[in-house]
Amino acid sequence: MPIQNPNPNKKKKKHSNQDDDEDDTVQGKQQTQFEFCKVCRLNHNQGRRHIYFPNHKKALSSFLYRFQSKFKNDVAFYLKKPMPLRPEHAALNRLWCVFCDFDILEYDSSFACGNAIAHLASAEHLKGLKSFLWKYGGGMDRMDSFRISESDFTKWEKKCKLLKSEAAGGGSHGSLIGPLNDIHNESKSEYVNSFDKNKLDCLTSDVKCSNSVVPLQDHTIERSQISHSKICTVGPQILHAGTGVGLGARTPNGLPGFFGNQHYTHSVPKEGPAYSCPNDGKQVYPYEGIAIGDGHSQGTSSEESRLQTQENGGGNVHSGAPPPWFSAAEKIQLDNKLNQGLGDLVSSLGEQMKTSKLNPKRVGAAWAERRKIELELEKRGELVRHDFGADWLPNFGRVWQSGSRKDSRKEFLGENKTWRKVDSQIEKPSQLQPYISKRMRTENTAE
Amino acid sequence: MNYLLTTLTKKQEVDSMIRDTIDKVLVLCFGRASDSIFLQLDEILYKSVREVSKFATVALVDIDSDDVQVYIKYFDITLIPSTVFFFNAHHMKMDCGSADHTKWVGTFLRKQDFVDVVEAIYRGAMKGKLIVTCPLPPDRIPKFQLLYKDV
Repeated sequence: MPIQNPNPNKKKKKHSNQDDDEDDTVQGKQQTQFEFCKVCRLNHNQGRRHIYFPNHKKALSSFLYRFQSKFKNDVAFYLKKPMPLRPEHAALNRLWCVFCDFDILEYDSSFACGNAIAHLASAEHLKGLKSFLWKYGGGMDRMDSFRISESDFTKWEKKCKLLKSEAAGGGSHGSLIGPLNDIHNESKSEYVNSFDKNKLDCLTSDVKCSNSVVPLQDHTIERSQISHSKICTVGPQILHAGTGVGLGARTPNGLPGFFGNQHYTHSVPKEGPAYSCPNDGKQVYPYEGIAIGDGHSQGTSSEESRLQTQENGGGNVHSGAPPPWFSAAEKIQLDNKLNQGLGDLVSSLGEQMKTSKLNPKRVGAAWAERRKIELELEKRGELVRHDFGADWLPNFGRVWQSGSRKDSRKEFLGENKTWRKVDSQIEKPSQLQPYISKRMRTENTAE
Repeated sequence: MNYLLTTLTKKQEVDSMIRDTIDKVLVLCFGRASDSIFLQLDEILYKSVREVSKFATVALVDIDSDDVQVYIKYFDITLIPSTVFFFNAHHMKMDCGSADHTKWVGTFLRKQDFVDVVEAIYRGAMKGKLIVTCPLPPDRIPKFQLLYKDV
């Protein structure tokens, strides 16, 4: 039986013996325990190798991106502008810290995202973050984008104290939420307080209104003044019975998902708070927007009418104009037709494309490319076929060989030569001579 | 020997076969027409050559011809039938659980086995691997005793 030569560097397999000169193996799975990767959400037994797989890297980048967007949009915003947290909005304001696997609730904090900011600035979070990045391979240089530095935290605390002192100083409730009211271009603090009243109002008024403003059922998010004004004008537009066309294109960049799932029917207002969080329950930012009341419509009616005229100019469902996506679809159809026309050209190039896309790392790729060129040239007759010679041998990894494959050929040729030499020596004819006895020889010489 | 499978009798033919098969697996089967196992292998090859034609070429080599003896020595062919795999003029090894990874000794039990083996070789070669593991379970692989080098 052949001798087994286990190579300590190679991973041991159960069923096979190994050569010394194995170049590479296709299956070399490590036999480790199964563990759960939080990022890819799958169980694997690849151990530490798993974090370098491309699928994991993709999943990790989207995972971190999601957390980072929540962090930036919400927590970072409130870090710069601390606002007091109202208890009814605390439920919306929670954050799941993915690094520490820990849900940060805001029920007992006085400021928006207070607990979240405190946690993200803490040492425990830093520890959790480090271990997460080590375990899942996120890149240790990105740590700062997932935590709050101590200097920022102290600044935030100071701002909070200032706000508290202002509030304690007895300013009106409206002034605290001053920045929130920018959305209307006039202070409408009463609307914040009469949030509940407005809900009922809109429910009743919605049925009546066809072109009048209906208050939003829930708060909107404020990113900037520009987007605020857009929101306040777009918001009532959504609730319009019948004029909801093409709004998807008009949503501000800050709120892609908010309006994404709107239904342009009367049922929208009834859904109420449900539709303010269309995507999932994980909406982090508090909806501290402003409910738009009937009386407020005058303030923004000019903007609304402008928007309405824009829509009317482009046509809407009532005017029988095609929806905006249809024109886009027509374009796509045209493109398809054009593509079919070009299809012939494409197919002829297709073969060339296919070959050029062959894995460059495949075995003998360089040799194959050269050989193809040679064959083509031979076909054309440009290059005279040069004989490789009768002694050409392919590179072959021999059975009892230890070394590279080129060596095997040399070894073989060397062996061949020695055999030939031996053969030729044997083949030298030994001249046969008749036996002459000594006596005969001496007699001959004597004579 | 089956007339539909290319049979090679000269070294130059084998050389050109190896050199001209580009981006496809070259299956070279060494054997003797009088051998029953070789005939069985031939039968299986004949049935499956068309199915693997997109990624493999099959050729038979008669070991009784003088011209090819160099190859027989070079490839250490001692047991018949032996099949050697090439890809882009590079020799592909396959680990079948036996001691000899450089060639496949014996016949295939089924047509599908042969296709699986060639597919495994092709996949490994396209990934840049010079040795692949056999996809067949050990009971399907013909067993043999490898002769020692100087025996």
